[in-house]
Amino acid sequence: MDFSIREANLDDCKDIARMIMELAEYVKLAEHVKVTQKDLEQDGFSNNPFFHGIIAEVPEQHKTKEGHTKIGYALYFYAYSSWSGRAIYMEDLYVMPEFRGKGVGKALISKVAQLGLAAGCHQLNFTVLDWNKPSMDFYLSQGCFNITATMGYHCMRCEGEALKHLAQL
Amino acid sequence: MTSGGHCWTTNDIIPLLFQELAKYEEMEHQVTLTEKELLEDGFGDTPFYHCIITEIQGQNSSEDPKVVGFAMYYFTYDPWVGKQLYLEEFYVMDEYRGLGIGSGILRHLSNLAMKTRCTGMMFVVAENNEPSVQFYKRRGAEDLSQEEGWRLFRFDKDSLVKMAAPSEE
Repeated sequence: MDFSIREANLDDCKDIARMIMELAEYVKLAEHVKVTQKDLEQDGFSNNPFFHGIIAEVPEQHKTKEGHTKIGYALYFYAYSSWSGRAIYMEDLYVMPEFRGKGVGKALISKVAQLGLAAGCHQLNFTVLDWNKPSMDFYLSQGCFNITATMGYHCMRCEGEALKHLAQL
Repeated sequence: MTSGGHCWTTNDIIPLLFQELAKYEEMEHQVTLTEKELLEDGFGDTPFYHCIITEIQGQNSSEDPKVVGFAMYYFTYDPWVGKQLYLEEFYVMDEYRGLGIGSGILRHLSNLAMKTRCTGMMFVVAENNEPSVQFYKRRGAEDLSQEEGWRLFRFDKDSLVKMAAPSEE
């Protein structure tokens, strides 16, 4: 199947917002999504972007029955490890169900790896849900390792009231 | 005692502090980052991270202030809820703990998170680091790995290079 991988631009935000929701639904956490298309436009495509995107696109003849040609995406940003320096963090990786198993996911993550190496990064980090076996299998087959399992690292967050309270202590 | 929000002082102590923290988490052999890289990556054209330090004034006013604590952070993005402040490293020297320095650093960062319209502050803690886990949970942090099942994964440099290589058709 013919597809192309390219950097996302402002006009892709509508499809990115759609696919973010599809990914959230896939991991059964859709009610957590608060970010809108407008937020994505502002946060990803202004002077000081907080993230970058990559889009996987198919030619017109392969579009979905709803007419979508943008069928996968990855969102990433640059991070830093105090032990090993520059890192790239892949926040989202998604391919629409009917386009899976055709190398699109591999191509997206390969692009993220290329961009990371070009920027001098030493590692690519991301999270996966523990029940998401298809994703875990895919990533493990590409040669990564599970730092939560091997080093006991847990992801923590302070938000909402807890964050406000911390700011006042 | 003053809490300094100055730029770091390119003091030799910063790499030492990293070494101390790595010893605490029993991973000192994994620190490969050099002082040169730290300087370039934090204070070059595109900073990958920001740092705040806490200094205390010596007994003698002619003494240089002493760096006793620091935090390293950067901004990340959660496509579901927006900007986050990511706390990469947070350390107070042993002999200066229990004096409110840690809380002061967290207060400063939480304020900064709110001013920059981040919806949360995120970080990673090793599950066997009981004192730190309790420190954060007392302040309202949620363990996303435990509560939602998120697992942190990593591709190291070798795996990145393999993934970035064009695949054979």
